[in-house]
Amino acid sequence: MTVTDSELDEYWNAVDAELAALPARPVRDRIPRRCTADFTGYEVRLTSIGPYRIFGYLSVPTGEGPFPALLTTPRYGSVNNPPHYNDRLRYVTLTIAHRGQRTADSPYAAAYPGLLTDGIADPAGYVYRGIVADCLRAAEYLAALPEVDASRVAVVGDDLALITAARRPVFAALQLTGTLLQRGAEQADADYPAAEFGDHLRAHPGDADAVRRTLAFFDAGRHAAAVTAAARVEIPGVPTTLAERLGAERYTLTRHGQADNDAADAWLAARFGVPAMSRFSRAAS
Amino acid sequence: MTQVDVNVFRPDDFDDFWDSTLKRVAKVPLRPSFEYVTERSTDDVAVFDVHYDSWDGVRISGWYAVPREAGPHPALMLVPGYISEPVIPRSWARKGYAAFAVAPRGKLRSNQRFNPGYPGLLVDNIADPNTYAYRGFYVDAVRAVDAVLTRPEVDADRVGVHGSSQGGALTITTAALLPDVVTCGAAGAPYLCGFMDSAKLTHSYPYEEINEYLRDHPDHEQRVAETVGYYDGINFAPNIQAPMLVYIGLEDDVCPPETGFAVHEAMKCEKELLTYERCGHDAGNHWAMEKVEAFLAGHLGVAR
Repeated sequence: MTVTDSELDEYWNAVDAELAALPARPVRDRIPRRCTADFTGYEVRLTSIGPYRIFGYLSVPTGEGPFPALLTTPRYGSVNNPPHYNDRLRYVTLTIAHRGQRTADSPYAAAYPGLLTDGIADPAGYVYRGIVADCLRAAEYLAALPEVDASRVAVVGDDLALITAARRPVFAALQLTGTLLQRGAEQADADYPAAEFGDHLRAHPGDADAVRRTLAFFDAGRHAAAVTAAARVEIPGVPTTLAERLGAERYTLTRHGQADNDAADAWLAARFGVPAMSRFSRAAS
Repeated sequence: MTQVDVNVFRPDDFDDFWDSTLKRVAKVPLRPSFEYVTERSTDDVAVFDVHYDSWDGVRISGWYAVPREAGPHPALMLVPGYISEPVIPRSWARKGYAAFAVAPRGKLRSNQRFNPGYPGLLVDNIADPNTYAYRGFYVDAVRAVDAVLTRPEVDADRVGVHGSSQGGALTITTAALLPDVVTCGAAGAPYLCGFMDSAKLTHSYPYEEINEYLRDHPDHEQRVAETVGYYDGINFAPNIQAPMLVYIGLEDDVCPPETGFAVHEAMKCEKELLTYERCGHDAGNHWAMEKVEAFLAGHLGVAR
């Protein structure tokens, strides 16, 4: 069951309209244990659609800004770590917890497994509609902070980062690490979390068309054309066809994890004019 | 990089502390329940939602996945990382294991009475070894073995433990606390080894939680070091009798490789260490997993 371009636009324009009608009403609390001479750590709370209150870890470097900024969209899972120390030295960093994740799990607590298929038979009720809205709200908040250099804002993550970049053209850089929703739905024999799709269809075989239709609204390939940020994608986590649509720089993972981490760090650092840093350093202390 | 780079305080009463801990929890009835889950089961694997009682009477959850073909099957205990939730271990069941993925206290399905959060678990009550969060957490992994051994299709003479990061730590602690039960263990990127040195060697989470705690409580460093001495994998390692496979990344920013060398060095059992250049907290997973699977299959008698 296909989704037309106009249906896609209508769906996401409705999300934008809901967000626009709801003030974010941010609350920003300084967290002393996450402050050093080099940066100040905060916890923030924002209103997203629902209305629903979401959570974020914010950190701002010490010194005269504005600074480049980095939005990390939530991983699949109940927990997101606060931004890494190295990133906090160089960027205004914001890592959010979407609705259902710890620190944003009241009144809705996501189930693992279960999140990926929560409400999936109805595009309007699919939990990821709200989760994307949470990411869009975070992008709006970060880009508007006075400490942020609006010409140097990046977003990092999976499908959520791509859709966020597509719907909010405030980003100069996009680092795409994978495509959970798109690839997972295509892999019938996948392990968890993508196995959630197969579990749902085994229990509800009549939902197959509805699931396909819902996921079409989240198809990264359909959103790629709207991305204006310079993109870097990691292969094989991201399909090459999607990389082509993004006009992205492709990085083939070496599977040497720290080497791959360092390469990702260096790409963004060079683009934003800050020093590259490895997380593995014996000078850390 | 050798063990001399890592200093761990070992309390004189370390063994007594854990003996008394296990004796105390033995008085808590296990009350295991295995509820079949239709929607997560497949033609070849049956999945059960498991609960049992543990330290302080806290109810602990887990996922049990077992081949539908008749047993006996070896048990494979899958112990979770710090921020991850246990995954239903269907893929391990397909390999022939009665696979049990435990959610120790504080994980989502085991947090009704204990929920320090993430970040938070690592430093929860860290000023006192008797009430430190990991006391119950380590015991929960031990009790998971007790729970799986109540299953008639499980061969009690074949019990493996496997995990990475915090799962690597729990592999070590569980093997040490159940030396007569655990048949083998495969520990990737073991966490909770050399706590204090690790917090000095890295700014990555979770160890960064200790640095943050000490920013709030700068006079607690000695107390923290004393507490974590009771929980350090390096102190558990000599008590392990089962064969162990340890694998680490030589540029792991989360669990410093120095601590991986140190815990391997402290083991007196049959052991093997795999190291991977330029790898981080992935611990060379791309190459190591084939060796892990061969190691487990060899010791647990599963055909590959």
